Amino acid sequence: MVKVGIVGLGTMGRQHAEAYRQMPDVQLSVVYDHHRDRAEAFAREFGTAVARDWDDFFNQCEIVDICTPTYRHTEYALAAIQAGKAVVCEKPLARTIEECEQIVEAVHRHSALFMPAHVLRFFPEYRTAHQMVKAGTLGTVAAVRMRRGGDFPRTKSDWYADYEKSGGIIMDLIIHDLDWVRWTLGEVERVYAKSLTFRQVEHLDYTLVTLRLRNGAVAHIEGTWCDPGGFRVAFEICGDAGMLEYDSAQMVALRIARRAEEGQGGGVEVPESPAVANPYYLELRHFIECYRTGQQPEITVEDGMEAVRLTLAAIESARTGQVIRL
Amino acid sequence: MKVKVGIMSFAHLHADSYAHCLLTNPRAEFVGIADHDRQRAQQKAQQYGVQAFDSYESLLASEVEAVIICSENVKHAPLAQMAAAAGKHILCEKPLMTRMEDGQAMLAAARGAGVQLFTAFPCRFSPAFQQLRAMVQAGEIGELLAMRGTNRGVNPGGWFNDPELAGGGAMMDHTVHVADLMRLLTGKEVVEVYAETNNLMYHGNFDDTAMLTLTFEGGIFATLDSSWSRPRTFPTWGDVTLAVYGTRGVIEMDMFAQYLRHYDDRAGRIRQVFWGDNIDALMVDEFLRAVAGEPATTLATGEDGYKAAAVAIAGYESVRRGEPVRV
Repeated sequence: MVKVGIVGLGTMGRQHAEAYRQMPDVQLSVVYDHHRDRAEAFAREFGTAVARDWDDFFNQCEIVDICTPTYRHTEYALAAIQAGKAVVCEKPLARTIEECEQIVEAVHRHSALFMPAHVLRFFPEYRTAHQMVKAGTLGTVAAVRMRRGGDFPRTKSDWYADYEKSGGIIMDLIIHDLDWVRWTLGEVERVYAKSLTFRQVEHLDYTLVTLRLRNGAVAHIEGTWCDPGGFRVAFEICGDAGMLEYDSAQMVALRIARRAEEGQGGGVEVPESPAVANPYYLELRHFIECYRTGQQPEITVEDGMEAVRLTLAAIESARTGQVIRL
Repeated sequence: MKVKVGIMSFAHLHADSYAHCLLTNPRAEFVGIADHDRQRAQQKAQQYGVQAFDSYESLLASEVEAVIICSENVKHAPLAQMAAAAGKHILCEKPLMTRMEDGQAMLAAARGAGVQLFTAFPCRFSPAFQQLRAMVQAGEIGELLAMRGTNRGVNPGGWFNDPELAGGGAMMDHTVHVADLMRLLTGKEVVEVYAETNNLMYHGNFDDTAMLTLTFEGGIFATLDSSWSRPRTFPTWGDVTLAVYGTRGVIEMDMFAQYLRHYDDRAGRIRQVFWGDNIDALMVDEFLRAVAGEPATTLATGEDGYKAAAVAIAGYESVRRGEPVRV
């Protein structure tokens, strides 16, 4: 039985706990959260222990899964690596390059098993597209357009609205697409971006980022936290031998529309894409396999740092109006 | 009284659509065609049952009151100046010009001759765009913050791939329609342009991929994809889309998403069969009214064409300099 502990029990912590619950050889042995009441309710639901403190937490697990808000990643990651644990850490790896470098250095110094959780790489639609590009199915890729977002994310502590904590829409949301572009098309030469982040519009954020890759391709990434029409992702990849497109709003395996109950507001429509294994399961299963076999995770700590570097370049471009060359 | 109209050059593929609009509009009398390619003038004149003129001069010396110019992009300026000098009203295919000084000369020629100069921006007449504009103006999505536009197409080939005649590639061809819609929607001018281009689709000496970032007066920002990135198997010619983001909501327009999907076994491909309004016909109708003395409310002026083309020209300047440029 591999013993896993989760720190941070918000949306992501729950997703990860659900995934571990489906693995017969993994035990969610301990959890930790700043909100004590939340941790206790969570522990009851998942039949696990609540750690009293850090020592207690580390004593009860072999793998540490960090699902806290971004600004706490470094502190927890460094402590876990130092304690000799294998670590899977939610994206973004950290809030600054300096913090990323500390984590990278610690990973190498302790020869730690470490994976930044860029779960998008395990979404079957994105993984299939990646594989087709790599196989040359589209020929030379000239242009990529990616879109991600919906309404502004609301959480208990509203930390998404605090730029210092979340990094805003570029760092928190479209880091997924930035990582996918780099994973699929290689290194980025320059970045130009516009964003509402610095206009400080209450609970609204929107960004348009243009990347020039070293291979000459142009990528356009749209991130929105101002679309009340529901969460939606889309991408389009144009090559000299063909084009791939995906739009989660158009390709819907299951559309569920419920009539509102008597005396309540409008009904809710939910699109779903049912699958045997969800991407969080696939991602964490990959990490568990790496832990068992000693192989390197397919997402390295350096990948996590480079994704953060791209977000910071886009943020700097949006802030200064300048083209940022990498 | 019908308005007598001639077409100067059939180089641009839109000429056939305008010819059809003239033939089916009861206000119009389609007089004839002149073209530097005389054989093409003969052939098209025969096709539409109108007169073939052996030169632009002879067309302009005829009874026509107005002309539609559908030449290669770089010839818009000399033809428009000829038409203005002959006292003819003008509807000029887009982009109005490929160099700023050409546009200035065209505007000055029309002004000096007292003729009306319009730019062929039919997308303004789209009922979907008209509704989008009315809703934005009524404040239905609050304060406008940002926009995302596309005008992608399949590569039209021919002279469009010759920068000597087209003045550029995809960015010159496809920037102006949506840049014009964005200007009309915001009532603001573009003050800064950044552009990235490449030629990785066709590997020619012209840009086929073009991504512009536009900043408007007051800080509204937008991107505009004007690439020839639709593959040969794409089910239609391309798209015009515009998404607008406000403090209270979002409106996304896909201008030509009024179609049937046709799985055509005979052609071995899938096609979109458009059933929406003919915006070329709506535009030509207002042009005819304007020539007859009625005020034009929607038609793009020469000035509008100049401002939109200036965005594409600034895009090329941005590519040369590798940084955002002021317009």
